[in-house]
Amino acid sequence: MRKGIVVLFILCLLVPSAIFAAGAQESDQVTIAFCFQDLETEFWVAGHKAITETLRENGIKVIEKNANEDANRQLEQVKDVITQGVDGVIIIPQDGESAVTIAKTCNEAGVPIGVFNRPPSDKSAKNLVVVANNEVIAEAAVEHMAQEAMKLGRKVHPAIMVGDLGDPNAVGRRQGFMNVIEKYPDLWAYEPVEIPTKWDANVALANLQSAMQANPDIDFLFTSSDFLFPVIKSVLAPLGKWTTIDDPNHVILAGLDGDVTAAQLLEEGYIDATGVQNLFYEADLMIDAMLEAINAGNGTPDKWMDDPGFALTQANLDTRAEEMWGWVLYKERQ
Amino acid sequence: METNKFMKFILKNSTAVLFVMIFVMFGLIAPRFFTLKNFQNIMSNASYIGIIAVGMTFVLLTGGIDLSVGSTMYLSVVVCGKLINEANFPVFPAVLISLLVGATVGAVNAFSITKLHLVPFITTLITQTIARGVGLFITRSVAVNYPDSVTLMSTSTVAGFIPLQIFIFLMVVLVACIVLNRTRYGRQLYAVGNDLESAKKAGIKSDRLIASTYVISGLLAALGGFVTITQIGRVNAGFGSGDEFDAIAAAVLGGASLFGGVGTIFPGTVLGTVMIEMIQAGLVFANVDIYIQPIIMAAIIFSAVFIDSIRTMQIKKLERRNILKA
Repeated sequence: MRKGIVVLFILCLLVPSAIFAAGAQESDQVTIAFCFQDLETEFWVAGHKAITETLRENGIKVIEKNANEDANRQLEQVKDVITQGVDGVIIIPQDGESAVTIAKTCNEAGVPIGVFNRPPSDKSAKNLVVVANNEVIAEAAVEHMAQEAMKLGRKVHPAIMVGDLGDPNAVGRRQGFMNVIEKYPDLWAYEPVEIPTKWDANVALANLQSAMQANPDIDFLFTSSDFLFPVIKSVLAPLGKWTTIDDPNHVILAGLDGDVTAAQLLEEGYIDATGVQNLFYEADLMIDAMLEAINAGNGTPDKWMDDPGFALTQANLDTRAEEMWGWVLYKERQ
Repeated sequence: METNKFMKFILKNSTAVLFVMIFVMFGLIAPRFFTLKNFQNIMSNASYIGIIAVGMTFVLLTGGIDLSVGSTMYLSVVVCGKLINEANFPVFPAVLISLLVGATVGAVNAFSITKLHLVPFITTLITQTIARGVGLFITRSVAVNYPDSVTLMSTSTVAGFIPLQIFIFLMVVLVACIVLNRTRYGRQLYAVGNDLESAKKAGIKSDRLIASTYVISGLLAALGGFVTITQIGRVNAGFGSGDEFDAIAAAVLGGASLFGGVGTIFPGTVLGTVMIEMIQAGLVFANVDIYIQPIIMAAIIFSAVFIDSIRTMQIKKLERRNILKA
């Protein structure tokens, strides 16, 4: 009996050793932790796919962590993967503030960190940042809308559906819209109406209904995210304003993201433009920079990389549609 | 004496008085706010959260809480959408199954709370995570789009002028009012919420009663989810998250106590729900700076809850004075 216990004890000691040994055999393989805040919209689902597939194609082991929209949980997850000895960390943070905190944690541990598509609120930490230039992309989309409005030969009433004000992407998109508003002061009949959405379809629905009720002549509407187009449709359709671009009742419409819905609506002629973030390009940028840092033994790389993006409009649909991630997915589904 | 009566009337109906004051205030700032169409929009947008808040009121009356309603909404409309889109189910049976899903989540809560004696807060927090997790597993985070046959329901009316979602909300309110005010079940629910031990001594089967409120809450969460889906037509991964707090806020704003035994469906929860929606709409009508809107919203809700708390104290004081004078 006692011999049996001794054998069992030795086995208990050997099993973890064997596991560690197996792990050691894998230690040559680069391991990167990918910590994302959630996959709320098609954009983030596509972003997650682009990152993980590109990493695996490069022979990198990926540890995935979903923080379910909890910034504290994400910080704990990052600490956890640092303890596991990962070579690098890529995060999609919950917000700009938590991105800074998490990056500083990685800096202290000497683990390179990449922040994907949601920029840190300041530059106090060292990190690789790949971010779409939301302001420039939004401006490009709204510029196209303004050009279409000028063709009407009259003033228009502009409105914007604003995202969560704690999200730097939403703030950048609002700024891009406002840049165009300031650029053409004679084009607007009234001050722009700002409609809060908090990135929530129900909030967006209620507030857009109120805005259309209070300002029935809104005929120039920019949504800060394409995922709100179904909401816009449900509000405009009963008013007889959900029409194709050739209809006199058409509300000049554009969004930003470049998702599948926007692709379909562009093809059907219901929207005028959408700002496109080049997800595949962003994923490549991030992984190249991360691997370069890991290979150079640089634990605190610091580089800000912009995706200039572009606006896919009715005018350039034939030539540039294939560059939009949502278009590719839309055609695959068809 | 007359002043006392007037004060008591005002204090007893403080929620309604505040409701009217806010309505008039926004109407003066933006005259279009007074239109029937706007009121219809407010009611329509309040419908889904109102339906959930009715279920929440049942739970709150027993001294419990249900944090899983937002995730239950998500899971049930995901199941409904998948059945319609991928299994070619007709809409009506798919909706019935989604209601069953909601009731099942409620039943899991009920079993855990009454049979396993787990704390409602923790239990419903766990089912919140599980329900959303199952929904995400089914969808892989990809949005579920509903067909036009469902979204067109939001434009249909009952009796030629009541939008369908408002009609469903009113029916839920009517049935809930009858159940709470006109049945033995309703009276027992208040008794359990007021004093659980006394209710047990009086022979009330409190476990069965408490369990039923969670099933009702789950069922109404699923119904609320479908009502809102007829309006927005699409289920994203974040659908319903945080709605549990709106439902709790609506019920509490309407006078329900978090400690149980106090609260009404009408006017209480209904006014609370519509008031929150009305403030939000009013802020958009008044074109208030979007950075200031949440502050004003919170300040008004705080005022309402604060007035409600001093109301209870003042009524007690006034009644005490009357007894002393008598």
